[in-house]
Amino acid sequence: MAVRTHFESKNEIGVFGKLTNAYCLASIGGSEIFYSTFEAELADTIPVIHTSLAGCRIIGRMCVGNKKGLLVPNSTFDQELQHLRNALPDSVKVQRVEERLSALGNVIACNDYVALVHPDLDRETEEIIVDTLGVEVFRHTIAGNVLVGSYCVLNNRGCLIHPNTSIVDQEELSSLLQVPLVAGTVNCGSSVLGAGVIVNDWIAFTGMDTTATELAVLESVFRLNEAEPSKITSEMRASLIEGMS
Amino acid sequence: MSKREIINEVVFNETFYQAFDENVKPVLLDGILEKVTDTKDDLEKKQTNWSSKNNLSCSYCQTDFSNVQQQREHYRLDWHRYNLKQSIQSRAPVSEEEFLNKTENDDVSSISGSDTEEEDSLDTYATAQGKIFLQNKKGQVFSLYRGLFLDKKGELSNVDFYKQYIQNCADNKKWAVLMLGGGHFAGAIFDYLTPVVHKTFHCYTVRAGQGGSQSSRDSKSGGSHPKSAGASLRRYNEQALVDHVRSIMELWTEEIKNCSLIFYRASGPYNRSVLFGGKDPILDRNDPRLRTIPFSTGRATFKEVKRVHLELVSGVIYETLDEAASLFAKQRSPEKETKRNKVRSSCINRAKSREIIQRPLPGDTGNSSSEENISNVNYARLESENLEDAGENDNLVSDVLEVSFDDLKEYADSLTPEERRNHQNKRKPKKSKNQKLREKEEARKKNLVDILTKGNVILMKELFEERLKTFQDIPNMPESDLAKEFFNSEVLDDKGNGFLHIAALNEHDEMIQYLLENNADPCAKNKNQQTPYSCTKSKTVREVFRKFAKENPDKYDYNKAQIPLNVLTDQEIAEKKKAQRKVKKDKEKEKKKENYIKQKEYEETNRFLNLSDREKRALAAERRILNAHGKVISRCFLCGSDMAGRTPFEYLENRFCSIECLKSHRLKIH
Repeated sequence: MAVRTHFESKNEIGVFGKLTNAYCLASIGGSEIFYSTFEAELADTIPVIHTSLAGCRIIGRMCVGNKKGLLVPNSTFDQELQHLRNALPDSVKVQRVEERLSALGNVIACNDYVALVHPDLDRETEEIIVDTLGVEVFRHTIAGNVLVGSYCVLNNRGCLIHPNTSIVDQEELSSLLQVPLVAGTVNCGSSVLGAGVIVNDWIAFTGMDTTATELAVLESVFRLNEAEPSKITSEMRASLIEGMS
Repeated sequence: MSKREIINEVVFNETFYQAFDENVKPVLLDGILEKVTDTKDDLEKKQTNWSSKNNLSCSYCQTDFSNVQQQREHYRLDWHRYNLKQSIQSRAPVSEEEFLNKTENDDVSSISGSDTEEEDSLDTYATAQGKIFLQNKKGQVFSLYRGLFLDKKGELSNVDFYKQYIQNCADNKKWAVLMLGGGHFAGAIFDYLTPVVHKTFHCYTVRAGQGGSQSSRDSKSGGSHPKSAGASLRRYNEQALVDHVRSIMELWTEEIKNCSLIFYRASGPYNRSVLFGGKDPILDRNDPRLRTIPFSTGRATFKEVKRVHLELVSGVIYETLDEAASLFAKQRSPEKETKRNKVRSSCINRAKSREIIQRPLPGDTGNSSSEENISNVNYARLESENLEDAGENDNLVSDVLEVSFDDLKEYADSLTPEERRNHQNKRKPKKSKNQKLREKEEARKKNLVDILTKGNVILMKELFEERLKTFQDIPNMPESDLAKEFFNSEVLDDKGNGFLHIAALNEHDEMIQYLLENNADPCAKNKNQQTPYSCTKSKTVREVFRKFAKENPDKYDYNKAQIPLNVLTDQEIAEKKKAQRKVKKDKEKEKKKENYIKQKEYEETNRFLNLSDREKRALAAERRILNAHGKVISRCFLCGSDMAGRTPFEYLENRFCSIECLKSHRLKIH
């Protein structure tokens, strides 16, 4: 299922929220609608946590995580870290990372098994990612852009990537990530996918401007409609392939 | 490379005139030095040449893999990272071999970790220096100041360099140079290399203490202008300077009109306002001939103006572009390490050893001016004379010794210098002996501390006995005194801890016991003003001290030793506690008894109160009778005991002395 929502009538919900298979973070200070959308969809499965990082609302771009762990930048306050540790399930490791590229959400894209990272990321950070998130780490660029976290979104079933990515790159990436890859946009043509959409294995949230086609692509690439697999394989495949080429 | 190929020339000269042709165009240097980087065409060619056979490939490194595992491993290689970066900078990828070569030669800058700031390229350096490089048809390259062709906003692309050259340098060789700053003005108009007119003057306008011009100070402070004499003087002078410059420029109007270029230096708003400000500015801001001086200059003097002009007109002709690039790079490299550049970097790299600054020695400088040479010679001669003097002095002394005043009695026992020298010689080994002794002493102390910390009583005893043996020569010293001396005199570490302190700190009860028995003083304090007792927190150790204090109550002042004397031992405490408990028990028993009596009394009164008035009266009467005659009137119905004066228990109109009687009577009836 994919749900449209907004944060103070901004479409960039990936900036203000973070969604994984084990928890959901929502930024403090927005109107309560933002939070309650998550609450309505997720509250019975995973915790939805109100938080800020280093006093900022842009938590989605500052932190990175999956079901095994959460990495927060070095500037995170102790209080916030404590709050996160209290609110998150015990199985989720929370770790502060001392990294020059402190917008971790922009420089790292990951699911529960693999992570793509900025080519300039520190070796130590790479090790921390491996240890905390339990993933394989690959340095990569997306469509000639180093901010892999901003230009690609992935879950365990699929990956949505910057529309300018070449076919060769897409194929390589898909063999690297071991998930099908689709180039696409969100929020009515925005290629900054990381900011526009947050996704886990069963639900995606996108900005209000997202078109129906974009939603359909999202749902199919992330396999959010497992209930109706036939639909994807039969009806939508053609249009999907058309859209990709 | 012969020297003839590089020509340093004045731009007005024939060589330059001949070298310039109509096809002169600007060139870049960087393309030449870095031949490794391919041009964009090459890059595209390479990219199109390569195409993967399957999905298992890396397009950045242009390699194929046989399985996924290989591919994944590849993505972790430095080679891949390097190629990633190459692709970001849109450069061609390097092959694995090339990469390995590069890493061996340490050619790859920072593959790991984050990128440092990119170094300036040669061209950006050249523009920073205000220079441009031009190439003519023959391939010759000139480096010239950009100002000769372009004004501030000029674009390289839309300039006809040949025309500009002819206009500015060949047809009309008249240039003006104006410099203004800090109250100084210097201006000159040159024709070819000779100054036609020139003028310099100075006005007192700069605030001596704080710096800056008076007008900027006034504008900062708002309404309140300082009214000091100096301030008004400066204010006046500023105006005077403007007027003066204006008058000079008016005199030079004709000359300036004929100039092909006007170079000026006027830093700061005040100085600029002198040249361009006012209703009728001295110079037109939009004059196409106006150029700023593209390098740093000193104080505005005529000498400086001449230097600036000479610098501006000089140009260099290189035979080829390669040569120009290499030579220019050389020119830059020393400048990279200048002090000024270094200061700019925010952090000091402590991993690097500091570079050694080679300063000329003060005595013999390299610049061998004749004067200095002379002075050097003089100095040398003086020195040699001094040496000779010293030698003579020595001789003199020995002479004096020979004629020594032996017969003077006061000096009879004084030593001759030779003897004294001998004496001094003797003293030296003594000193070293002292040192040895000190070392020995330190070693001994260390040994003692070691024993104490380990709490080895046996070793301590041995040491003490050894010590005793050394003192056996002194017969009239009792052993206790010796022990006292041995154990008390010494401070063993830098915190002022003595024997007992160390033993107490390390909690060796036996050692403490032994030391105390051997007259070690528990009153000694260390540098923290702690006695051995107070320096430890261990209960057992404190117990040892207390026990000793109890056994020898008069030996030391235990107040001073901070050992509490009247503290009880454990046994005593137990006994005391027992006694206390007993007293408490007794008290409780008594209380119980009292309570019981009270309870009874209470019950009695209650029962009495419950009686009817007739009975109460009867009871009172009974008591009266009892008091008066001592006779018993009422008796218990069952046992017949006397119950006068007591409240009876009543049942079926019979009276009983107690409940028991009543109960048994009732049982009988039923």
